[in-house]
Amino acid sequence: MNTLMSVRGLRKHFGDADVIKGVDLDIHEGEVVVVIGPSGSGKSTLIRCLNNLEPATAGDIVLSGSNGGRDSLARLRDEVGMVFQDYTLFPHLSILRNMTLAPMKLRGLARAEAEAQAMKLLERVGLAHKAHAYPAELSGGQQQRVAIVRALAMQPRLMLFDEPTSALDPETVNEVLQVMKELAAEGTTMVVVTHEMGFAREVADRVIFFDGGRIVECAPPAQLFSAPCEERTRQFLTHVLK
Amino acid sequence: MSFDFDYLLTQWPALLDGLWMTLQVSALSILLSLLIGVLGAGIKLFRLPGLTQLVALYVELIRNTPILVQLFFIFYGLPAVGLKLSLYWSGVLCLSLWAGAYQIENLRGGLATVDKGLREAGAALSLSSRQFFRLIAIPIAFRVSLPAMLNTAISLLKNSAYLQTIGLAELTFVAVDRIATDFRAIEMFTAICVIYLALVAVLALLAGRLEAHLQRPFQQ
Repeated sequence: MNTLMSVRGLRKHFGDADVIKGVDLDIHEGEVVVVIGPSGSGKSTLIRCLNNLEPATAGDIVLSGSNGGRDSLARLRDEVGMVFQDYTLFPHLSILRNMTLAPMKLRGLARAEAEAQAMKLLERVGLAHKAHAYPAELSGGQQQRVAIVRALAMQPRLMLFDEPTSALDPETVNEVLQVMKELAAEGTTMVVVTHEMGFAREVADRVIFFDGGRIVECAPPAQLFSAPCEERTRQFLTHVLK
Repeated sequence: MSFDFDYLLTQWPALLDGLWMTLQVSALSILLSLLIGVLGAGIKLFRLPGLTQLVALYVELIRNTPILVQLFFIFYGLPAVGLKLSLYWSGVLCLSLWAGAYQIENLRGGLATVDKGLREAGAALSLSSRQFFRLIAIPIAFRVSLPAMLNTAISLLKNSAYLQTIGLAELTFVAVDRIATDFRAIEMFTAICVIYLALVAVLALLAGRLEAHLQRPFQQ
């Protein structure tokens, strides 16, 4: 398996607070890595460092094919897509325009080209009929599905999901998880921070239990959920799986 | 002495000339003040070093001195340091700088409502700060700031009457000039009041249209 992203000695401080205390991680092509852990463990900060939304205090994040130089940080943004907890669609733009904005401005696609690509992606998530609607006219689940394909429109090599279902109604959580499962099945490389243990168990290739700014344990889901090695993992799982 | 409509009819061509000048100067100054507003609010939003302090100083200077003093400074003061502007451009500069300071603050209020999450979403799509400002933040802020920006534009239009003090032949200048020879004060001031009211009404109507347009995406 080829390594797509390699993280070495990643640290992040906010003032005096030591949030990420040294993380080493390799993400392989086509792999789904799910990060679980208690609130405040730093897992959101970790994933936000992976596309340099939070500049790391120390350490290296290198995408394959990059020399790790200074402009590799800009490439990180460009080649890594991200979906946030609160959808963050641009409220003044139609769904279609939300989808075509970045591809047109940054990839240099012509409008017709960008729109054709956007419509294809919207069809995939069953929202082609909403192309000319505005975000406020969509439900939370629909907005999040748009946010996912908006990120895909930039053809990222890696997709990050930061608690993508935490702000949704319980009823609409599944429509978003379904889209993510399909992406995983198509071989999209994904890092997902979530509290959805069912998703982790079913879709992840590896599950990371993150606590106190460190990777406590990293294993395939079957192993991590049924026979965790660390006492701290066991404690957490008995809480959330109860 | 009674109200003489016939007199007003004879003066109508002169008033129209004044109206045309008022319209030109005001429209141009409104556009320039919006440009100043966008630039100044952007500088403040991104806290560009040096420029931020300069913008803050400019806003304080304009807001805390009388507009008439600002006008005299530009028209009578600047030539002393070698910058001599025509009547027309002195007027435009004065009104643009005056309203620009207020438009900066109006837009800043609107920009404060733009969610931090949108900035991150823009960054995650690798939009640059400048692209985010132009394509996302400003359009969203415009909608919020529009009522305040309209107020400033209306004030600018009314303040264009100050330009008669330096001799620019706008609406109020024409009226005062004619009164000096014909002594028909009530007719002339009534006429220009009605014209100013009509101009403000048109401006408000245009802004209303624009607001409805900007509001559309936010209605469920």
